[in-house]
Amino acid sequence: MKKIRFFIALMAAKLARFLLKLLGRNASYLPGEVALKISKDFLGHLKLPETVICVTGTNGKTTVSNLLTSILAKNGYSVTNNSFGSNVQAGVAAALLADSNIFGKSKKDIAVLEVDERSSLLVYPYINPDYLVVNNIMRDSIKRNAHTGFIDYIISSALPEKTKLVLNGDDMITSNLAPQCKNRTYFGLDAEKPEVSEKPFLSDIVYCPECGALLESEYLRYNHIGRMYCPSCGKKSPERDYLCTDVDRENSTFTVSLKGKEHTFNLINDNIVNIFNFTGAIAILSEIGLSVSQIEKGFSQSEIVKSRFDTLKAGKLDVTFIMAKGQNPIACARCFSYAASIQKENKLLLIDIDDLHDNINESESTCWLYDCDYSYLADDSISEIIFTGPRCRDQLLRAVLAGVDKNKIILEPDVSKAVDLIDTEKYKDVIVLYELYRQPDADKMKIQIKNLGEGTK
Amino acid sequence: MKIELLFPEVCGLYGDAQNYEYLKKSLPDAEFIVTDFLSTPYFFEKDPDIICIGSMSEEMQRKVLDKFRPRKDRINELIEKGTVILATGNAAELFCEKIEYITEKKETEGLGVFPLTAKTDLFKRYNGKVLGECDGIEIVGFRAQFSFIYGDNSDCFFLKMIRGDGINKESGFEGMRKNNLMCTTCLGPILPLNPLFTEYIISLAGGSEKAAFREEAMSAYEKRLAEFHDPKVKF
Repeated sequence: MKKIRFFIALMAAKLARFLLKLLGRNASYLPGEVALKISKDFLGHLKLPETVICVTGTNGKTTVSNLLTSILAKNGYSVTNNSFGSNVQAGVAAALLADSNIFGKSKKDIAVLEVDERSSLLVYPYINPDYLVVNNIMRDSIKRNAHTGFIDYIISSALPEKTKLVLNGDDMITSNLAPQCKNRTYFGLDAEKPEVSEKPFLSDIVYCPECGALLESEYLRYNHIGRMYCPSCGKKSPERDYLCTDVDRENSTFTVSLKGKEHTFNLINDNIVNIFNFTGAIAILSEIGLSVSQIEKGFSQSEIVKSRFDTLKAGKLDVTFIMAKGQNPIACARCFSYAASIQKENKLLLIDIDDLHDNINESESTCWLYDCDYSYLADDSISEIIFTGPRCRDQLLRAVLAGVDKNKIILEPDVSKAVDLIDTEKYKDVIVLYELYRQPDADKMKIQIKNLGEGTK
Repeated sequence: MKIELLFPEVCGLYGDAQNYEYLKKSLPDAEFIVTDFLSTPYFFEKDPDIICIGSMSEEMQRKVLDKFRPRKDRINELIEKGTVILATGNAAELFCEKIEYITEKKETEGLGVFPLTAKTDLFKRYNGKVLGECDGIEIVGFRAQFSFIYGDNSDCFFLKMIRGDGINKESGFEGMRKNNLMCTTCLGPILPLNPLFTEYIISLAGGSEKAAFREEAMSAYEKRLAEFHDPKVKF
């Protein structure tokens, strides 16, 4: 009976996909939803590719999934992936059924599936991933993800013992996930160790998960990312099998030690968060058997998708666009930190990070602003900040509370008018931070800034 | 004035720890005591004027209760004395009789200040907004929780709701109050979100200072208040 339901679900979903495509619509979610409505255990009946890699974690899963898909494809593998669709159960189902035949058998070599942490219980028990890559687990959307203990609980409860874990060894929460999975390897970053660890604005792990004593750190890079140990029971961050040992920003390369030998790769982006992402990607590619030269080739031909990071020259203006996930305090703080660190002096920041969905007949919960470290915006290199969007007054309050000089701040509730406030006489360097779902805003701003910079407005 | 912030390293989810920063900026002359979870709370032996505790994980809730339970009498003494105690998010539940953890099939005894039971289900996340009134002040806030509180709080509520749910979906009263113990399921930054309420808290503790960054805070508060009163804005 279950099998019959599965085939009905598969046919219905394929028909839905066909019709959506015919209408020129995105088919990355709905066909999966149709399949799961008819057959709850649809995922469990699919004949999956020989290798199934899942990627999860709070920040960076899309970057890693995209990169893996791109590098595998460049090396001749056929890959199923959901990177441009939804990362919940229906999105995973939609991606897998799109690449399967009428019997539900995959036509691809490998599946690279980005999985939302909260979907763990609905995905892993059915598809039993061969590998799971976890970049980090940290504070995320208050509305959906609650706290890291909850996320740890659902990922760990969902994973089958046979899955090999590829974990960030510099994250004490991630590295302790799913103890039932004995087959595990760790990646991390040894280069550019901070000489002095600043006290993090917030940390999602403070006490030893084994004995409850206060954890100490050899060093921390941001939040709880770094090397920790317990002076009481001796628990410590695990040794890393894949270790980034050098970052050469000038020549845009980074070096990773693989099985005791160092290899240099093209550095696609020098944000510390992405260096972790890249090292994690190298770890999993090596685990599934790609040679160093295959990985090198992949990195040399890859870039971060432009929707996440882009630059633009408009007359005298040098503009950098960085996507910052709203409602995600640590991801946003990393973007603030990065924005403060690039383009050294006298820069203007335009910040458009209100949640789009939460502001349609709604009033966004701004609690997350208070978990986000706004003190990066007090950096001397930032001369002016334009907060735009319906919550700009809240942004102002949060920023001044974090020590940003209020005289540097301009508010413009109407996003479409924000670019007009850029003084092209005063500023050459502009950084635009925009929220994930505000890509259309960013696209319009690119046109507006181009016109402004080139004096055609 | 002495202000104690309890366990911000583990009871500071959802921006709760920033209530304290806001008080710090509002009360530059006050003495602030930060107590970490492994230390003995200052209030066990001495009398702070304000105590703040914020949201935490469910595991932490049980640990905090294990720490507080032996000092129930002292906590009641402070409540009777009129010490201002602000418990936000699920810290409010500590003061119930019992907390049931449905997913984990556990339960724990609370401090029993209020004859109420909190029930937590990790597979049911609730998000909501709060527009309520406390001693003539309109309070705006946000909620994100796995739990509801059950029982009758009609004679011990923190907020009389104008819009939004109370302690559970059937209740019109949010949170609990006894003297100056204020327990609210509103998350963290309730103080910067509500400068008038911040000034009220300060006055209850004997101060007369104004809320920090008052102009900016009032501007954000008034905008939100107008939105929350707008029937087009979903609750």
